[in-house]
Amino acid sequence: QNILFLFQHFRGRKNRCYKLAVRSVRRAFVKSTKARREKKRFLRALWITRIEAASLEHGLKYPAFISNLLKSQVELNRKMIADLAIYEPKTFKSLAALAQRRRQEGFLAALGDGKEPEGIFSRIVHHY
Amino acid sequence: VAKTSLSSPPWPEVKLPDPVEEAKYHAEVVQKVNKMIATGQYGRLFAVVHFASKQWKVTSEDLIMMDNVLEAECGDRIRMEKVLLVGADDFTLIGRPLLGKDLVRVEATVIEKTESWPKINMRFWKRHNYQRKKIITNPQTVLRINTIDIFPCLS
Repeated sequence: QNILFLFQHFRGRKNRCYKLAVRSVRRAFVKSTKARREKKRFLRALWITRIEAASLEHGLKYPAFISNLLKSQVELNRKMIADLAIYEPKTFKSLAALAQRRRQEGFLAALGDGKEPEGIFSRIVHHY
Repeated sequence: VAKTSLSSPPWPEVKLPDPVEEAKYHAEVVQKVNKMIATGQYGRLFAVVHFASKQWKVTSEDLIMMDNVLEAECGDRIRMEKVLLVGADDFTLIGRPLLGKDLVRVEATVIEKTESWPKINMRFWKRHNYQRKKIITNPQTVLRINTIDIFPCLS
């Protein structure tokens, strides 16, 4: 009963009357336990939006940036990349350049030898 | 072959620079960075360290708090391996994924071993007379990072 003086920052009669305070305190505890699990999802989404904004400034989209970074074996967290993008812009620029270069190498590797594949419908039929 | 929508790839054509020239350029850059490290021309170093299943961006004289117990007494010096990134004002060394132990050295000391503030875990279902309340205090340790050293042994 005396513990409820901890919740004096509530609004209205909840900070004075015991019955109302009990109910709102119970709801507050339950909401905080659930929010502790949601906080992780929320923060990850926040970091992702920040990284997206920073990579767009350097001319790359977020999926391209992250996939190329992972392919070049750089295992930085999204939290770290977001912090780097805020406090170390030069480092982030070098990471973006690395991702861009890996992307171009991937395109070239996907094209193969550079010769066109022998198609079936584009074959020229010779009538002799 | 006729020019259709699928005859050329949808991305713009890119040419990579010459591999021989690139190798020369890379060697030059590595030598420059080695010289800079050897002469000590860097200001404040920062490092990205993987510790306690989390990544931390660390500089010297930094405080770090983790939500677990370390098997070290207060005042013990700890060397942190698993360094992912090291940087200064003019250059950064990015590890793939980790940097070598003979390149970087991060030292820290254990300062405090406390418990967290009492967090309340409550479950409640209305109209079912069900409520459980649990007070949780996690053990925490506080580390102070003393120094970050780099050695000029790049190749």
